[in-house]
Amino acid sequence: MNVEISGVTESMSHRMVASRKPELNSSATVANGKVALLARLRQGDERAFDELVTRHHSALIRMAMGYVADREVAEEVVQDTWMVVIEGLGRFEGRSSLRTWIFGIMIHKAKDRGVREKRHTTFSSFESADDDGDDATDPSWFHQSGEWAGHWAFPPQPWDDQTPEKLLASQQAITAMNRAIEALPRTLKDVLILRDVEGVEAKEVCNILKITETNLYVRLHRARERVRQAVEAYLVGRKPTM
Amino acid sequence: MAQEEGQPIFSEVTCQEIAQWASAYLDEHVEDERKRHIALHLAICAGCETYVKQIATVRDVVGILPKAIEQPSDSQRLRQAFVARARRLPASR
Ligand SMILES: [Zn+2]
Repeated sequence: MNVEISGVTESMSHRMVASRKPELNSSATVANGKVALLARLRQGDERAFDELVTRHHSALIRMAMGYVADREVAEEVVQDTWMVVIEGLGRFEGRSSLRTWIFGIMIHKAKDRGVREKRHTTFSSFESADDDGDDATDPSWFHQSGEWAGHWAFPPQPWDDQTPEKLLASQQAITAMNRAIEALPRTLKDVLILRDVEGVEAKEVCNILKITETNLYVRLHRARERVRQAVEAYLVGRKPTM
Repeated sequence: MAQEEGQPIFSEVTCQEIAQWASAYLDEHVEDERKRHIALHLAICAGCETYVKQIATVRDVVGILPKAIEQPSDSQRLRQAFVARARRLPASR
């Protein structure tokens, strides 16, 4: 999907003079596809429905898992979500995007289900995870006093020429990153899945999760930082001489 | 492993702040002035340049990690429900 977006974006780039935010480009082009999809869905186009399910099902399951006890329940929640979507398509007014609407339904259902499963207490402790703290990064990496205060005491070691593609060539690296993502607390996992895995724009992520952009970036950075540490651990482990 | 250059970098922002803002900066979600300060700092600070680059790599790689393509266990039922619903609403478009 990312590839698709960047392909279209390039062809459009000559028209995007005023825009400096890359996400504006993609939103304009993706929007057309979304409108077309919605029209096809309303006409009862089965293939459009398959497309919609294929596009979102994995992410829905992955996110639902953060709210309910197990995989089976998550699948039920998402299945119920799709039924609500089917029933509601005729009434869907398109004030939010189709995706925001669908994920909103899932989160509502998953929370409901989670509460009924008496995971309520676990929830509130998750929800209250402070977004205002600035401890995504470890303070001990930096000098805390003296003329070097705020400067790196232990700067990160460059990853040589590690590109995303090179990392993906290693099954071990993929496993390390997936583990780090799965181990994230729900609030962090939600933003990482939506923003980075699914490529949802920041504003829409905020709408889906009902959080502010400040919250979003605090959480997103914490999530990315944990994955960064997983990559670092993988790279260090790979080179015992370091 | 302290920075070896003789003088602390003169900058409007500290490395610690850069590290905290790295994700917002990469997404162009910082105000213009802060953005300028960060860009200036990155130009002269190897540690921060490395850090921000690594966060960018993480952001990019997470987006292209191979994903399990999952289908609903009962996709046939869903499709039938969709078709049935569409038949009940022939005029809706
Ligand atoms: Zn620095």
